[in-house]
Amino acid sequence: MMCSKIGLSSVVSGYGRVRIVDGVSTEVAPGEIVAVIGRNGVGKTTLMKTLIGEVPVKSGEIRLNGRDIGGLTAPRRARLGIGYVPQGRGIFSRLSVAANLGLGVGVGDAARSNFDRVFEFFPILEKRLQQPAGSMSGGEQQQLAIARILVGNPQVMLLDEPSEGIQPSIVQEIGRTIRRLRDQQDLTIIIVEQNLSLIQAVADRCLVMDRGRIIAEVRPDALNDPALAKEYLAI
Amino acid sequence: MDLAGQLTSYLYQYFDNATFLILAALGLILIYGMMGVINMAHGELMMIGAYVATYSYHAGLPIPLAVLCAGIAAGLAGIVMELLIVRHFYNQLLSSLVVTWGLSLVLSQGALLILGPSTLNMPTPLGSFSVGGFSFGVYRMAMTVVAVLLMAGIWILLRWTRFGNQAQATIENPRMAAALGIDTRWIYTTTFAIGAALGGVAGGMLAMTTAVSPFFGQGYTAVAFITVVLGGGANALVGLAVAAGYLSGVQTLLSVMVNQYLGYVSLFAAAFVALLVMPSGISDFLERRRSRKVQR
Ligand SMILES: Nc1ncnc2c1ncn2[C@@H]1O[C@H](COP(=O)(O)OP(=O)(O)OP(=O)(O)O)[C@@H](O)[C@H]1O
Ligand SMILES: [Mg+2]
Repeated sequence: MMCSKIGLSSVVSGYGRVRIVDGVSTEVAPGEIVAVIGRNGVGKTTLMKTLIGEVPVKSGEIRLNGRDIGGLTAPRRARLGIGYVPQGRGIFSRLSVAANLGLGVGVGDAARSNFDRVFEFFPILEKRLQQPAGSMSGGEQQQLAIARILVGNPQVMLLDEPSEGIQPSIVQEIGRTIRRLRDQQDLTIIIVEQNLSLIQAVADRCLVMDRGRIIAEVRPDALNDPALAKEYLAI
Repeated sequence: MDLAGQLTSYLYQYFDNATFLILAALGLILIYGMMGVINMAHGELMMIGAYVATYSYHAGLPIPLAVLCAGIAAGLAGIVMELLIVRHFYNQLLSSLVVTWGLSLVLSQGALLILGPSTLNMPTPLGSFSVGGFSFGVYRMAMTVVAVLLMAGIWILLRWTRFGNQAQATIENPRMAAALGIDTRWIYTTTFAIGAALGGVAGGMLAMTTAVSPFFGQGYTAVAFITVVLGGGANALVGLAVAAGYLSGVQTLLSVMVNQYLGYVSLFAAAFVALLVMPSGISDFLERRRSRKVQR
């Protein structure tokens, strides 16, 4: 177990007194891409927010490289190398693309931040640096949100529904980029997704979430079974 | 009557009134725009600045340094205020109003207890010149220049520095900012301190034009408040400049045509009318018009 990149033991969290994430345990190996799937409102986003530190852990442990980080604030977790791309992208719409990217240096070790790496993966952003980020299309904003994390030096990337509201061709491109990122940057990735083709394009395995718990683990190709897909995905 | 002198006098009054509004409101609108809090104790931060400037001047410091000390003292007071009290009321406009209003009473009454009711004075520096029988204070014009420089400084800070980007990100989406490693608490505290320091600098400069007493700040809080409400939070600097320009125009006109008192009262009437047209303030109004244009 010591070799897992990020590990959760009986993590419970929620808003106020309500338990939304209700005892999640799992281990994610270095360089693994794990998809978290499940119907609407089962707590997938809340799980991601708990991992980055936006929602406090009520009980249980979150480990990064074996160290419990569950009590740390979000900025400190970011500096340890957790990059978060939230549902809805979290772009600062009034700032320029360049300024948005510049804010990514806080992810991971700032001394190893790198802009060139980003333009290699997302060439369109280089042409848009001075544009207000809010004026870009949804797909471009999604790429910016991922690129922004990458400017820093992340070890773990948390992606919450990157395909939401984006046209299929761009989703495919994002899928290819995610795989390349894992292969070339040694990233460990946890991705919440509903889009079957994106899940199958990137994930090594899928954790199925229901009412705050992980109720099953399946291989991505198992979702080819329409009955299973219908049960596990919100469509 | 001498036309040149008359016109110069109108212009002088216009800029003087606008400067007064900008100095009183700059720190306040910065804090409001960034954190959704109106600090009713801003006038008391100005009062602290006024006292510190006066005491340091009488202790022998040159005027610019005395004003700098005023800013530093008010900035430090702002840090304490933010850490102990204001931090718990971000984006709660009403609660923040009540709490900081209480704080302003505590500070002014505290100053009364400690420093006594007598007023202090500083001479107005830089002398005056005259045009066609009208006399104009050079110092007042210097204040206008400083007010413009302070606004430019804040603009540069927000637009061109790393701190400014982090601060703008924090206003727009504090959670996302935190998730990117930005220490949002530090950003809030620092911004509040900068706003407070601006109040201190304003107080220090105004101390050379009027008597300093424990209730020095109260005359400013009301006008600063309406300037900020009219200016709005969306783009604080633009809002402030336009609000101050407009309010000062109305005030100057009525002061000249009727009397000073009516000029002062007209500030509130003018703000009232403008807010009927633009309920969420000038900068918000401009922002929306601009984004409508972009969409077309
Ligand atoms: N800020 C909040 N305060 C209180 N309850 C919340 C908050 N955010 C989400 N919830 C509740 O928590 C539950 C889980 O929400 P969450 O956003 O984690 O679900 P999800 O699995 O991401 O859903 P979706 O697929 O629609 O994105 C829902 O019942 C939701 O109403
Ligand atoms: Mg969600």
